[in-house]
Amino acid sequence: MALTTTRARPVVGARPARRRESVLARIVRHWADYLYIAPALIVMLLVIGYPIYYTVYLSFFATPPSLSMDEKIWVGLDNYRRILRSESFRDVTWNTFIWTIFSTFFAFVLGFAAALVVHREFIGRGIVRGLLLIPYVISAVAASYIWRWLYHSDSGLISGVLMDLGLIDRPINFLDDIDRVMPSLIVANVWKEFPFAMIMLLAGLQTVPEQLHRAAMVDGAGTWHRFIHVTIPHLKGVIIITTLLLLVTNLNSFTIVWIMTGGGPAGASEIWITEVYQLAFGRLRFGLASAYSVILFIVMMTLGYFYVKALTRGDRRRRPA
Amino acid sequence: MSTAQQTLPAARAATKAAARRTRRRRGIWDILGWIYLVLLLIFTVVPMLWMLSTSLKSEWAALQQPPQWLPSNPTLRHYERLLSPYSEVGPTFLRYLFNSFWVSSATTVLGVMIAIPAAYAFSRFRFPGREALFFSVLLRNMFPAVVFLMPLFIMMRWLHLVNTHGSLILTYLTFGLPLSIWLLKGFYDNIPPELEMAARIDGASRFQAFWRVVMPLSAPGIIATAIYSFILAWNEYVYALTFLNNEERLTLPVGLQRFFTEYASNWPGLMAAAFIMSVPVVALFLILQKYFVRALTEGAVKT
Amino acid sequence: MTSQNDRRILSQQLTRRQVLGLGAAAGLAAAGVAPTNALAQSDKTGVDPEQWNPETIRQMAGTLEVNTAEEVAEVVPLDYKGKVSYWYVGPNEASSEIEKQVDAEFWAAFKETYPNIEVNVQNLDYNQMLDKLRTAALGKAAPVVARMPILWGVEFAAKGQLSEISLDEFNFSEEEFWPGALKSVTWEGKRYGVPTNNETMGFIWNRAIFAEAGLDPESPPATWADVVEYSKIIKEKTGKAGYGLVARVNAGNTPFRFMPVLWAYGGGALDEAEPNPTYDKIYIDNEGSQAALQTHYDMYVRDKSVPVGALTNTQTENRDPFVAGQLAMMISHPSEYAAIIDAANKATGEDKVIADQVVESMAYGLIPEGPTRRAVVFGGSNIHIFNPDLVEGDFDRDAARALIAFMCGPEWSTKLAWVSSNPGNIRGFRTTWMKERLETIRFLDVTTSMLPYGIPFPVIPESPEIMNIIVPEMMQNALTESMSVEEACQTAREQIEELLTGL
Repeated sequence: MALTTTRARPVVGARPARRRESVLARIVRHWADYLYIAPALIVMLLVIGYPIYYTVYLSFFATPPSLSMDEKIWVGLDNYRRILRSESFRDVTWNTFIWTIFSTFFAFVLGFAAALVVHREFIGRGIVRGLLLIPYVISAVAASYIWRWLYHSDSGLISGVLMDLGLIDRPINFLDDIDRVMPSLIVANVWKEFPFAMIMLLAGLQTVPEQLHRAAMVDGAGTWHRFIHVTIPHLKGVIIITTLLLLVTNLNSFTIVWIMTGGGPAGASEIWITEVYQLAFGRLRFGLASAYSVILFIVMMTLGYFYVKALTRGDRRRRPA
Repeated sequence: MSTAQQTLPAARAATKAAARRTRRRRGIWDILGWIYLVLLLIFTVVPMLWMLSTSLKSEWAALQQPPQWLPSNPTLRHYERLLSPYSEVGPTFLRYLFNSFWVSSATTVLGVMIAIPAAYAFSRFRFPGREALFFSVLLRNMFPAVVFLMPLFIMMRWLHLVNTHGSLILTYLTFGLPLSIWLLKGFYDNIPPELEMAARIDGASRFQAFWRVVMPLSAPGIIATAIYSFILAWNEYVYALTFLNNEERLTLPVGLQRFFTEYASNWPGLMAAAFIMSVPVVALFLILQKYFVRALTEGAVKT
Repeated sequence: MTSQNDRRILSQQLTRRQVLGLGAAAGLAAAGVAPTNALAQSDKTGVDPEQWNPETIRQMAGTLEVNTAEEVAEVVPLDYKGKVSYWYVGPNEASSEIEKQVDAEFWAAFKETYPNIEVNVQNLDYNQMLDKLRTAALGKAAPVVARMPILWGVEFAAKGQLSEISLDEFNFSEEEFWPGALKSVTWEGKRYGVPTNNETMGFIWNRAIFAEAGLDPESPPATWADVVEYSKIIKEKTGKAGYGLVARVNAGNTPFRFMPVLWAYGGGALDEAEPNPTYDKIYIDNEGSQAALQTHYDMYVRDKSVPVGALTNTQTENRDPFVAGQLAMMISHPSEYAAIIDAANKATGEDKVIADQVVESMAYGLIPEGPTRRAVVFGGSNIHIFNPDLVEGDFDRDAARALIAFMCGPEWSTKLAWVSSNPGNIRGFRTTWMKERLETIRFLDVTTSMLPYGIPFPVIPESPEIMNIIVPEMMQNALTESMSVEEACQTAREQIEELLTGL
């Protein structure tokens, strides 16, 4: 009983007394706590720990397609050198940058605006909100095919409608054109992702106290003014988390690009993830693909640092019970 | 506007003027809002309607240029073929559907069972390494699935899980866990420990106190995590493609690919399959979405 | 409407089944009367690849009576009890009804012949199978037996992932197979598989569109330069797409449609088109290769006379406009004839009228030639046994041998190739089934007579990467104008060089 109360009590008061205790002793005393998180940790370790180890290990080897994996050749840091020096790395990185930034930006802006609109009371709000959320739930595979079909150059809806309207006289190839392919993919991706931003920010908006708005209104603040000075500051936390989650998701997203273009045409939509997949499974350079992955990890970890900081930020400021 | 409680006529007039100004400005924003909403709805809904419309066409009608918005000869043939146990592809497709349900449900149940104690511990206990561990759990989302395909396959083989649903369930568990733990932890953080203590003073065990006090309060969070895990598992494609060989065990996203292979381009059939595949998760999500928003509001977003 | 369609397909199936049955019976009767083949022939096959034209093919068909059960009983006793796992690219959603049916009949026949051999069959999609096989072999979860497209086997053989085999253990002899096919299952002098079928494609065109464009409907373009010109004329006169170009990366059918052009112009990836290839010279940027790429550039960029989606479309996506009468010509797989007929049968109303017209005006011819030669990809599949170390579960070599002997004999190598290709076992050409095939499937004699022009892809482990990635990327680089034709070829050369020499 006594043990429970001390545990449940916030850290602040109890901490000074425990400072001198050794880490080991604390671990031993808290052994029962670890049982709670053990299942989660074991699953995580298996599914993440081993692959990370293996990927890093393999990144120091060359695995030519003519040799089996048992005959792989130690090359040290050569794989990294080759990737960082190659021209294609620059192109692919640029594509990845464009893909991630624009997808995130538009998904966020569309989602935020949608959240603001849907936050207001009106008849049929539930239905509208539901409709807007559907793309988020549809699988990426299905979404990719739907968009590929919409973009289809010879019998797609978009080309067809534009031709119907007389805006173009020949079908447009959305996915076959090096300049159009990225924007086309980003549109499809934003379609699928903006609802996520919407739902996060909608949840955030519901926590903005009504009094704040009223108070600002009495001061004569207009809608825009209130949005900038009341809503945005209050939502800062959610905005950061949503943006980071979107960034990470986009950096990691594979299915849409892979199914719609496979990175083509002429590599114009090749992003890191599709390149890694292509290197590993198309070209059987598991070593090179692993090195690529490790570079990717490093970028992700940097982002991840901010992500986790944002996620755990509220945790430290927990109100005392 | 109702807050105007001043007695001086001048002050009242000033407030009224301000309110009018605001209303006028509100008006512009309202109109812009409506326009935006209509455009956004078109953007969102047209692709889905197009999927539905295509799925009701014959293979031929689908290829017509200019495209027909609505099928002139709607047919349910593709749905019949997919869902009838007597058709040629029906039994296989139903099998995929069943497999997806099984894998997703198992992932969801296990995921919630694992996430609850972990989230509770991260919220209530102060054990050494707590932050580092919480950090590492959340990091799961950082790693792209594709990168882990090969090592995970080798590991699954080592665990004798290749070609079983176990391999997928184990993998999918880790997708949902970070967000689940994070969401639930937010809930537990907001439930005062005093409530539990009060229950325990009344003679409840720790588990009873948790079950009777904490669980009901965190129900929206649990429902939200469950939907989230279910959807992730239902839609996952890359691992299912790599881990499963046996046709009888394939899940829907991989099955969907069968309709679009090197030698096939049955767009209406593909769209019908995509539609059927979307129905369960969309329905589930729409019915339970209020919990999702509530969970985010109360659990995660609140700072 | 719907059920009517289904019934039609059903009745078609029925007649097909009857025909198969009848065919066997008719074969028995014909065996006695059939004229003995006058060709110079080897003792066992009775076929001379030197004399290969539609005429001789027709003459020899139906001169051989085969009892498969008897033949395979000498390899593995019919009461053998065992187990074998088997992966292959089987019929899928888009396959013609006949293909699906023959597949089902094969498994029924095998079950009847070897009732105690249990086969665990996995039918995989072409584009998925290679990745899956690679992963499975790495993770030691490979099947015992796999039938792979001709291009893939050598990669697995080079890595030591396949078991060495000899033709003797199946009671086969070398002369039963095409030399090119045998080459594709040989790595460093050792044999790693048995050819199951060999396919070559033909050139298909819509006579009605030709007429509409003022071209002679009966004569297909003779050279690739003609194709470019015809394609342009068709686009200008009719507004329809001329040539069905495909350049999708990582899709099996891109190299099958582009390599013949490279070879025709004296180009190639390596020196695979030479009489005695060494695979150590790179041809991808020679004059011929550049001229070949230029033809495609002209059609796609300059004349815009091909389907707009050429860079993302698969071959099937060309088939649809062809059936709809919107595309005039393409390199076509023999099985596409059956698939096109199926598609036409599924059409209704006005579509049906158009489709029937297309089927009516469809014609097959030889693939055009270039300045250097006429060429086609010598394709097909081979069957392999994996290395026991990599197989999950039991490795029962006898069961595997039974399956392979049964499948690669004259009967089933003919039947399984029914609509799509040619029997891997040359004796198949003499069977009654072959005769029946020639009678029921149009144009088969044309695609079959392309066999002597067949050039196999380089038999090196790097072949899949060259064919599925480097070559299509070279096309994309030029067709999207992100590089000039010359630059695209040079880039491809650098990539191949790096691939062959680097790690």
